[in-house]
Amino acid sequence: MNAVTGSAAARCAPAWRAPLIVLAVGLVAWWVLPDQLGLVTRLAVTALLVLSLDLVVGIAGLATLGHAALFGAGAYAAGTFALRMHPDPLLGLAVGVGAGALLALASGAFLLRYSGFTFLMLTVAVAQIVLSLAQKGRDWTGGDDGLTGFTMAPLLGRFAFDMEGRTAALYAIAVLAAGLYLARRVVDSPFGLAVRGIHENRARMAALGTPVFARLLAMYTVAGALAGAAGALSAQTNAIVGMDSLSFALSAELLVMLILGGAGRLTGALIGALVFTLLHHTAASINPYHWLFIVGAALMVVVLLPPQKAWNWLRARMGATT
Amino acid sequence: MHRFARQWSAAASALLLAASFSASTEAQTIKVGIVGPFSGPFAQYGTLFKNGAEAYVASQGGKLAGKEIEFIYRDTGGPNPGQTKTIVQELIVKDKVDYLGGFVFTPNAFAVAPLIQQSQTPTVIFNAATSAITDKSEFFIRTSYTLWQVTVPMAQWAAKSNLKKVVTAVTDYGPGIDAETAFKSEFTKQGGTVVESIRMPISTTDFSPFVQRIKASGAQAVYTFLPGGPPNLGFVKAYNENGLAKSGIQFLGTAETDEFDLQKFGDAAIGLTTAFHYSAAHESPANKKFIEALKKRDPNAVANYASVGAWDGMFVIHKMIEATGGQRDGLKALVAARALQWESPRGPVRIDAKTRHIVQNVYLRKVEKVGGALVNKEVQNFGPQIDYGLDK
Amino acid sequence: MQTLLNIGIDGIAYGMVLFVIAVGLSVTLGLMRFVNLSHGAFAMIGGYAAALLTREAHWNFWLALPVAVLGTALIGALLEALVLRHLYKRSELEQVLFTIGLAFFLIALTNALAGPQVQLITLPPLLAQSVDLGFRTLPAQRLLVIAAGLLVAAGAAWTMARTRFGIWLRAAVDHADTASTLGIPIRTVQCASFAVGAALAGLGGVLGAELMPLEPYYALKYLVLVLVVVAVGGMGSIMGSLVAALSLGTIETASKYLASEWGSLFFFVAMAAMLALRPHGLLKR
Repeated sequence: MNAVTGSAAARCAPAWRAPLIVLAVGLVAWWVLPDQLGLVTRLAVTALLVLSLDLVVGIAGLATLGHAALFGAGAYAAGTFALRMHPDPLLGLAVGVGAGALLALASGAFLLRYSGFTFLMLTVAVAQIVLSLAQKGRDWTGGDDGLTGFTMAPLLGRFAFDMEGRTAALYAIAVLAAGLYLARRVVDSPFGLAVRGIHENRARMAALGTPVFARLLAMYTVAGALAGAAGALSAQTNAIVGMDSLSFALSAELLVMLILGGAGRLTGALIGALVFTLLHHTAASINPYHWLFIVGAALMVVVLLPPQKAWNWLRARMGATT
Repeated sequence: MHRFARQWSAAASALLLAASFSASTEAQTIKVGIVGPFSGPFAQYGTLFKNGAEAYVASQGGKLAGKEIEFIYRDTGGPNPGQTKTIVQELIVKDKVDYLGGFVFTPNAFAVAPLIQQSQTPTVIFNAATSAITDKSEFFIRTSYTLWQVTVPMAQWAAKSNLKKVVTAVTDYGPGIDAETAFKSEFTKQGGTVVESIRMPISTTDFSPFVQRIKASGAQAVYTFLPGGPPNLGFVKAYNENGLAKSGIQFLGTAETDEFDLQKFGDAAIGLTTAFHYSAAHESPANKKFIEALKKRDPNAVANYASVGAWDGMFVIHKMIEATGGQRDGLKALVAARALQWESPRGPVRIDAKTRHIVQNVYLRKVEKVGGALVNKEVQNFGPQIDYGLDK
Repeated sequence: MQTLLNIGIDGIAYGMVLFVIAVGLSVTLGLMRFVNLSHGAFAMIGGYAAALLTREAHWNFWLALPVAVLGTALIGALLEALVLRHLYKRSELEQVLFTIGLAFFLIALTNALAGPQVQLITLPPLLAQSVDLGFRTLPAQRLLVIAAGLLVAAGAAWTMARTRFGIWLRAAVDHADTASTLGIPIRTVQCASFAVGAALAGLGGVLGAELMPLEPYYALKYLVLVLVVVAVGGMGSIMGSLVAALSLGTIETASKYLASEWGSLFFFVAMAAMLALRPHGLLKR
């Protein structure tokens, strides 16, 4: 018992610390990069999405290649709400959160009966089924042309979504910070600990009397809610939702970003999203034809030379000279 | 806190430097952002755009209206509206482009409509073919084509050629559905029947099931539309290899015999009938000049509808620069663009003042072998066609 | 009736291509528990090699095919021995990251060397002709695909059941540590199996070039389909992969004939159903 609380206490930094840092960094970025606020917004949305993936992959230990479905569900729900019902951003955000959570709950009830490679492939199947349905329902989703035609109302009634993206960037950063706070609280709570326990040793947790399926489903639903929030943000800041929001390629990229930054720590998700997106953006601007070389090589190098080892080597060398 | 202050002042000074730099060069250099796929399965469009656009500038002596042109190329990958919006936002706000060009996929064009509208940046569409795009912002000008534009004359010709039963087979996405709707409406208006409307998923690579369905439909001809690249190639090969021509089902297409992939079909493609606005075999001095300029830039460059879309697109931008004297004035540029009329490599064209879409000749072509290579030989000129999809 | 026969022929041809590409991944996953998401790249390499040999160097197809396949095997063996085997002990997620990075790199390399356009393989007149089966005409190449698939399946089954290598392989899949204490050269088995898997993928790439066009993104584009076949068939099960590939290929083809507006919906519903009912593979107990 002591070992468990010991490690938990060490990890239990106050939940508001990381979100506050995110807010600070976000504000600085907003201040010094007024020309690239579109990129800042995208970074915040992607970070939130990878964060939600970390809850599933890193905390609950369930590798999934279908996470885009939860994102897309939130995006299409928020977009449709803005188009057909009311263009208020915060209401739309709530709708997106609800849609993501609902899809996670419904699909999780089926998916979580399986584990390992089977679970992985079933997440692919579910995501592709959602994609096929979205393509078929082009009267609602706009099909491959995308869902367009909606303009968002000013945030909180006062801040209009401007062309430079100032409002959008601050909005996204705020929601990211809030999402991170929520995730932190969830992960550090007894519920979060139970899920991490299930990750480490499912049989033992079951023997302790933990309702494994219920816990996993709850975590999956929370992850779905955050992914839906990211989707709503994306729909609202871009004023369009495309089929790429539901694609397998997106799910795969999210997983890559998470592994890159390190799964299970929540902050790793943010770092992975940041590094990968910036790498892609910079490499693509330098050479639109060959940026994939840089990204591919970077991924391979990161695995062969884990940053931890490189860092230690660097410190050893610096230690030797001083 | 100290670290932040340093970073902040470094960034601020970098910004000031950048701002001063751009201010001093703005008067002489016009920045044109070209947005398209440079990677991924449709990457050939990026190269075609680049070749067409840069060849045009080179043919004008390296400057347009006395101004240097700086191209900024940005990759959108596939249909990726979120990413495209970020890219264009950066092009407009950070790079301060004067004009935008390119666009292959409809959702990408839709995504940037609010941006170009608010910033008043004239944007020339080199390729995307869905009619609704030019409605989304008054700053869109199109030098490509739309499905309605090329399909209506094809349907009329089919009816006149005594074809009574036709089956349509299109890819299940915006332009494909436009093509199907356009053909159906015009062909039935002319008295024919569309016996079946087959829609093929956009991710299809194996077209043989669809070709079998076409055979089984009992039609006399198949009217088809697919996106350029692998889908196009796959379908035409399947048509050839499954013996459809022999079974008496005529091929009616538009962009399928695109010069980019045409040679790959081999002799099986001879006789394929299409209605389209540009053939590299079009005989005119303007076309000769275009092809020469392309080959000068890159002997492997292909003259097709995408590179001519970029060439003519740069012509429009050229005239807009002339009209505004190199200053950034979107509304004035638009006024000039709407009045344009010229001889393009495709034939005589003009920009429709109301719809900002290019009005051009559509030709009936048959694939023939000329000098050992396959070409789209123009056998009939349907005359100037408007975008029927917008005038409804 | 006509439609049923059509679905049968096209479905089996498509399924055979999937099988030939997937069988290597199934064995590698089952044997080394190594998640190799760059497997699609081997199919691509094989296809590209054949395309370049037949089109640019004007080799005969029947010569180019084995050379392309052997070349892919060699590349696979080198990759395994030099780089990939160091990753066997790493976590699955790291294997995913590395092999996706490798796939990206190979895509970029292919694009840089050969350009973004589709590569066509020049077929000999024997294969390029259309064969009239009475109820329909189809390219002779499709018949080759079906025949090759059957040969691969038969060959694999025979190897597993009758040869020493097959016994070693089965032992290693079941329990690698015990197998090595029994004197089975595990490293050789691993490297050889990987190379054979890569070779088969290359063969699939060449055979399937008509159905799955060769372009730089091939490596990742069809990865999902291959993973699906491996999952449904069961890791390490060759017969399972065959049955999975044929059934899923037929279902996908049937949906193209009968309900194409629904896209690949039925394929994935069928896949989910099969996996849900038999999570460890179709033929595994």
